[in-house]
Amino acid sequence: MWSTRTIPLSLSFRPCTRLLQHAEHRARGFATATTSSASSPSPSPSELEPNTHYRITLRRSAISLPVRYKGTLVALGLHRRMQTVYHRHTPDIAGKILRVKELVQVENVPASAVRNKTEQRRERKAPRGYAVVGSGLELDL
Amino acid sequence: MLGAFRQTQVSLGGLLWKTPWKLSPTRKANARKRLKRVDSVIEAVRASGVECASLVKALELPKEHEMPARDKYTVFTRHARGYRKGIHKVPKWTRLTLRTNPTGF
Repeated sequence: MWSTRTIPLSLSFRPCTRLLQHAEHRARGFATATTSSASSPSPSPSELEPNTHYRITLRRSAISLPVRYKGTLVALGLHRRMQTVYHRHTPDIAGKILRVKELVQVENVPASAVRNKTEQRRERKAPRGYAVVGSGLELDL
Repeated sequence: MLGAFRQTQVSLGGLLWKTPWKLSPTRKANARKRLKRVDSVIEAVRASGVECASLVKALELPKEHEMPARDKYTVFTRHARGYRKGIHKVPKWTRLTLRTNPTGF
């Protein structure tokens, strides 16, 4: 840390790939390819892919509801409120969603939008305001 | 009220539970919002193209804009005059589907 040279993000000429990915994600916006949403003016590549997965988010808890609802949420992989999971379009998942339809929010997304837990955490992280361009140990002598 | 098990008055340190007999406009608006959210969940499952028995039953449920106000804010009961009571008197009513009532009531 004492030997690291850091410069502000605006002056860096070699931003790290994670910053680039985050900038791309921000530029794309958070519009998801839902069938019920209005069509956007410019067709982006994500809208041309077929929606193959459910994005399921738990919005209401199953506290004090019968065990069958709690068990359905566990079977879907939902353990806490606001958790998001992705599942393929299959009849058994559709049945589970419909059993807890009062508790969840569902969107149809393409396969490219599927994220596992670590990927969701990485996308939630805020970017650093700087990029490391060099280290004092790497000085050419 | 007289008897062995009288309610204690609040002024004497007793507890008070008051539930209004009907929903306020805010609660009604929130109930409609929740109905629309469940409609969107059923619509998302329908749009996915998957076929299952529970989807057939879910599509038979009326949508929020198809429901009369009676069904949105009251629920059938056999014990009251008029055979209806406020839907907010049902435990966990914000997390249950209570769209249909027996025909004719």
